[in-house]
Amino acid sequence: MDELELLKKDWKKQEDVLPRLSYKEIYKMILKKSSSIVRWIFIISILEFLLWASLDVVFRLNGMYSKVEKVDMGSFSLIASIVSYGILLYFITRFYINYKKIKVTDSAKVLMENIIKTRRTVKRYIWVNISFFALAMVATMSYALIFTETFQNNSVENQLPVWLVVVVTLLVTSMFIGIIALFYRVIYGIFTRRLKRNYGELKKLEI
Amino acid sequence: MNKELEHSFVTNLEQNQNIVHKVCRIYTSDSDSHNDLFQEITIQLWKAYPKFRGDAKFSTWMYRVALNTAITLYRRSKRSIKTADLDTMNFKIKAEEYDDEVEQQLKLMYAAVKQLNDIEKALVFLYLEDKSYREIADTMGISEVNARVKMNRVKTKLKKILNP
Repeated sequence: MDELELLKKDWKKQEDVLPRLSYKEIYKMILKKSSSIVRWIFIISILEFLLWASLDVVFRLNGMYSKVEKVDMGSFSLIASIVSYGILLYFITRFYINYKKIKVTDSAKVLMENIIKTRRTVKRYIWVNISFFALAMVATMSYALIFTETFQNNSVENQLPVWLVVVVTLLVTSMFIGIIALFYRVIYGIFTRRLKRNYGELKKLEI
Repeated sequence: MNKELEHSFVTNLEQNQNIVHKVCRIYTSDSDSHNDLFQEITIQLWKAYPKFRGDAKFSTWMYRVALNTAITLYRRSKRSIKTADLDTMNFKIKAEEYDDEVEQQLKLMYAAVKQLNDIEKALVFLYLEDKSYREIADTMGISEVNARVKMNRVKTKLKKILNP
């Protein structure tokens, strides 16, 4: 006899030894909050949006932009703000649309795809922000080096060597990106490792 | 949500709770995680319930939500403990019904199923529940042919685990 058939026969008998919950116990359960990964992904994503959006505000309050404006980059920073809010709005809309598509009544594969898509939207937003940040860093540095009087009129002995400024800026930028990338790998990893493995398992069936 | 909906849901689930318990048995190894998973499946079923139109049977609809929760949505709070003792512990094999050899074989089978990955467990579960390949394919979101192919591979894998 096939082992699985043997198991099937016994499986039916297992019903007698299953736990049984009362009406009251089940009722209590529906009042509790879910702790599913979709809920966590939703909370974390909202926090991420808030974090990146608030960074802009913090920079403003700290007068970071007034320093930028001193080096004649006022219009650049205005355009940058408009673009970054536009990007934020776009990603939040995309995120919301994807999030709404997550239905526990879909097939396992479709459900997994929709969760991955939702998470990917937020991941893209973060990468766009990081690139934006890196670009702004490099642009500000080049602008300051090439066009501003501070750098050009300083006497040679007061001036830091150009290569040092370049190296330090690049180092700081890449360290910043590295830390953020690591941070996301960890968070993203915790939440989606199993999801990705199972999705991969289903995908493999199609090849 | 209104009381009437709550009542019809809880009554339905109370009558069909076996399905959820069986999913929990396949996916968890101790009673704490069993209860945790049961709780989460109940919440997911309840959240989806207003959209349940009754065009499918409540039990059929439950299979999908329960498996989706176990495979995709549920976050295990602790690493599941993988010991043979625990694995067979929650399947109570009634000794008086089988001879020793069969009993031993069943124990090993349950332990082997526990070693499968999440997707394979889902296939075995649906198979044990006597679902057609069409239904298995629909629930998982794969083609019927692939469901058959995969099921055969799972059978081979189980044989390998049992006879290394």
